[in-house]
Amino acid sequence: MDFVTLGGNLLGTIQLGDIVLYLTPFSLFLFAVLLGFTVLIGLSKPETQVEATMHYLNNTEVKVGQKELKQRRFLAVICGIASAGAMITGDLFNFTLFMALVGILNIGIVSAVKQTSVLNSAFNYGLIAMMCSLPLFGGAAIILAATGTLSLAVLSQMPASPMVVFGAVMMLIGILGESGVAPFFASKAEMFRTAGSPYIVIIVIIHLSSLFIIVRAVEILLLVLW
Amino acid sequence: MRIGALWNKLAEPKNIPRLFAFSLGIILIIGLIVPLALNPDQLYVRPAPQEQVDEGLAIAPYDRGGVPLKEPGNINPQYPENAESLGMITGYMSPLAEFVSSISPYFGTSIYSSPGGLIDEILYYTRGFDTILESSILMMAFIIASWLSINYTMNRKNDEGEIKKDVKKAIGDSNKVASQVKANDAKARAKQLRRDN
Repeated sequence: MDFVTLGGNLLGTIQLGDIVLYLTPFSLFLFAVLLGFTVLIGLSKPETQVEATMHYLNNTEVKVGQKELKQRRFLAVICGIASAGAMITGDLFNFTLFMALVGILNIGIVSAVKQTSVLNSAFNYGLIAMMCSLPLFGGAAIILAATGTLSLAVLSQMPASPMVVFGAVMMLIGILGESGVAPFFASKAEMFRTAGSPYIVIIVIIHLSSLFIIVRAVEILLLVLW
Repeated sequence: MRIGALWNKLAEPKNIPRLFAFSLGIILIIGLIVPLALNPDQLYVRPAPQEQVDEGLAIAPYDRGGVPLKEPGNINPQYPENAESLGMITGYMSPLAEFVSSISPYFGTSIYSSPGGLIDEILYYTRGFDTILESSILMMAFIIASWLSINYTMNRKNDEGEIKKDVKKAIGDSNKVASQVKANDAKARAKQLRRDN
């Protein structure tokens, strides 16, 4: 499929050697929304939770320390910028690198929480992210080997062979695992609902980045396959 | 099985990596029957495997020709118009590298010893943005690791409330175990008594 059919008119390109960023209304819209959310995250205040105790009347207030908050906010802002970059990139390998960056930042955000249940799920998420660097980069490499190019503009004009389809499926598995939260962890929302601005700094950026990246991944797979 | 039970199993964090690994394994096994063949028309061309080794070139798999600053080497970028002086330093080697390649036929077998200019041209010239991203991934990994090792989020030494909760839980658990042992003991005794009589 063509850029124009999927994303609207081509407004321009940013040329960085072989890596060319394509600006279409679709990708620019995603880019702008993500940057807007990143600004919101950078400015927002942390949330405080109240933990109730079973059978007793003592409720405890769960607060986030300054240090923890700073680390999470920093990682969240970088994560927002990285996923915004993934929205406008026009190179397959460049996209996988943005994806890997978002994945590692998501692990970092979750691992900076001082709660054992969250750390446990961060550990398991980390296992998935480690496993899926193989299909993520392997899929991109298989597509490169089959077509001889990484540029999405050229790939979109090529017919898909079985090898390209296999590479695309592998890449999709890699993207699902690396952005893990959306497909897998969405089954239990409370897993990431921890104290201290989770709804802005944790929940929003992890879910936002993975959702946006999956939308973009669908676009890229359509470009490659059709 | 009801679908709700399945969702509840999925909500357990430790089950998800297993499910993921299983589905990844299935996909990779399916990959064994997909016809895989290298398309010879590649970006950043390189000769066929073993071709240069058989020819006996000193920097065997990485020789792309070219004389530094005079004659461009053989690199096939996607957009040549974005990198006009590409190939000009492809063949550059430091004096030390030239000396080693003159005495050893295996100089080119590792990526560090490929002609110095080649890495510069592909990694820093045509695909410079990728290199920036790669190093920022590494930097973020170090930031996360160093933050964790300084603050050690698993540390519960100074967390009094947590320790109290854990002690209470441990006491409860050991009581439970003790009562179970007692019950089992009594059962075994009764069994033995029955048998004896």
